[in-house]
Amino acid sequence: MSKLSASAALVLALAGTLAAQPQVPGPAFAPGWAASGTLRTFVGQDLFNQIDGGAEIFLEFGFTALRIQAYARDKAELTLSAYEMESAASALGIYLMRMGRETPFAEVAARNSSEDVQLTIVKGRFFIQVDNLGETPAPRADAAALANAFLAGVADETEKTPLDLLPAGGKVAGSERLIRGPYGLQPYFTFGEGDILSLGGKIFGALSAYQTPDGLSFTRLIIPYPGPEAAAAARAHLQANLDPYLKVTATRADGFDFVDYEAKKGSVALAGAVLEIRFGLPGGGRRP
Amino acid sequence: MRERRYRSMPPDDAVGRRDFLKAGGAIGAGLVLAGRSLLAAQQTEGQQPPAKPPARPPRPKTNIEDALKVSRTKWSLPGPFPGRVVEVHDPAAMPDGKVDAAVVKAMVERGIRGLTGKSLKKSFGLFLTKTDVVGLKVNPVGPGLISTRLELVDAVIDWLVSCGLPRRNIVIWDRFDYMLTDAGFTAERYPGIAIEGLQTMDEAAAEGKTQDNSKWLKPDGTHVSVPNFDQEVFYWADVEGPKDLPYLNQHVFNGKHSYFGRLLTKKLTKFINLPVFKNSGNAISMATKNIGYGAVCNTNRLHAPLFLDVCVEVPAFWPVRDKMVLNITDGLRSQYDGGPDKNAKFAYIDNRLFFASDPFALDMVCHNRIVAKRKEMGVAVNENPRFTDYLRYAEKLGLGVVDPAKIAHVKA
Repeated sequence: MSKLSASAALVLALAGTLAAQPQVPGPAFAPGWAASGTLRTFVGQDLFNQIDGGAEIFLEFGFTALRIQAYARDKAELTLSAYEMESAASALGIYLMRMGRETPFAEVAARNSSEDVQLTIVKGRFFIQVDNLGETPAPRADAAALANAFLAGVADETEKTPLDLLPAGGKVAGSERLIRGPYGLQPYFTFGEGDILSLGGKIFGALSAYQTPDGLSFTRLIIPYPGPEAAAAARAHLQANLDPYLKVTATRADGFDFVDYEAKKGSVALAGAVLEIRFGLPGGGRRP
Repeated sequence: MRERRYRSMPPDDAVGRRDFLKAGGAIGAGLVLAGRSLLAAQQTEGQQPPAKPPARPPRPKTNIEDALKVSRTKWSLPGPFPGRVVEVHDPAAMPDGKVDAAVVKAMVERGIRGLTGKSLKKSFGLFLTKTDVVGLKVNPVGPGLISTRLELVDAVIDWLVSCGLPRRNIVIWDRFDYMLTDAGFTAERYPGIAIEGLQTMDEAAAEGKTQDNSKWLKPDGTHVSVPNFDQEVFYWADVEGPKDLPYLNQHVFNGKHSYFGRLLTKKLTKFINLPVFKNSGNAISMATKNIGYGAVCNTNRLHAPLFLDVCVEVPAFWPVRDKMVLNITDGLRSQYDGGPDKNAKFAYIDNRLFFASDPFALDMVCHNRIVAKRKEMGVAVNENPRFTDYLRYAEKLGLGVVDPAKIAHVKA
């Protein structure tokens, strides 16, 4: 496809997506509310103007646009922030990073992790937050009504993700996360600088905490690459550029073992197109 | 310049944020991916990652040596109490989420006395004189939730005024004027006190609501806030700022120089740093980040290649090193994840204030505290030493004391 026709296709596809955008609700989601200020929209890198450094992780996962609308009733204020992501996997990735301990409100019509002051929601390609931070708290039912008014227009897309590759045995419920680059990986482990896992800003991996039958815990990260060659190259790049705080203790045909700065153990193993990394196993235990 | 061992954070940013969409065509990729099996998509030829991942980027050169050439003064960091951090906790500070101003005032007084071991008036003399022009550097990001509490600022002002400093000699400041307003730092709220942003930014233009850039862009192509920055005093790093208008709107300059605000170089003779207890990814965004990224312009270019090192190297320059005499970290309401923006899911009332003349010792104490909080709450935390390497770099430069064996963490 020529560059011109590819660009035209992109524009058409983008236009189609924007046309299908769910509407930001008017103030009638519950009695007595009025819009407070105008609808604000941030596209692509302009997200930095709204959430500063917090934009990094959104862009890494594939951010498209953010729409923000505030509503007021007396001293109560609700603010809807609707982040449109590239795909359902992108939205789920952000949600898993932001959900904390998942505490759903049953009255919200989608997967959510909520507190009285903030609803955090994922549905299809949208990651949504409703802030309830006015001088007087709004009723929880009104916050949920606002969220549901928006959710009604969101297509319920689903998408297979590498989360399905995480073995069930020993997995700690609620610890599953998606990663798509260094910012997502940052809170978990440092393997090296830059795009150390060769994700190229495109490939998703999945990680989760695990517990062995004898009570030891570790983290497992699984990354399906486009093919065995890409996976082998990623493994080689990782080993060649390993963080100086990590030391390789054994090299095998399919990977290598290492210890980290706390003498915790880890391993890297290649199987076909899939790289499996385990880390954080307390020293003295079996090889993870 | 020789390669240093200290490199505090993985730039962890092989895909630079402003280049992300341009280079990767991320929007297009997302549309192609939508509705399909992601695993299948990852197998698609067009979605292949680079055959050869980029090599480890070298640390950009900076002009830190210029900072170190300037002779120190009696006021230079780490101030009169290297390595000393005082923590004050009062459960009555924020009952039901509302600040009790009287309790906060008492906490400030306890903290200052605990830090200096002297009365409030004598403490004043350790840091300031009655003729000083004193800045109060607040953090207005996340208003309504985790911005610097107005009541904390009130308490500090009360202390300064009670010790003889005229109100007209006090300036509440931050980098962005509109953020100060959003967070409640207005002339009406603080009569007689100056409120100054180092720069303005046209939010409507930044949001793409208008193509009219005349509110911030002069006919000669420069930002209206250019005169607010001192082009004689700068942090230089071998990293170009992006050349697009939105970047210039937000950052005033877009070359390799980050100029210090003229407010710091010409007007203020001292200042007090009032950051908020919060995270920035796996790191913290507290005392040294509040000033490292708050005292100069053209900073977004620095995040990826130098991130936390900026929190050391900017304060190493005299407008900060020799004027920032006291730091009080606002932990009345803190946030352990989802930062640096506000994120109510991870914000909690902690009823704490932290005091230090040494911002690096202060950040080390608070870093350890946030790590413990994240563990307590079941949030992942990466304890790789590189996340605190920048603090050890500061110690090496003589700006602070961060060795745990030398830090005195006192609860007053």
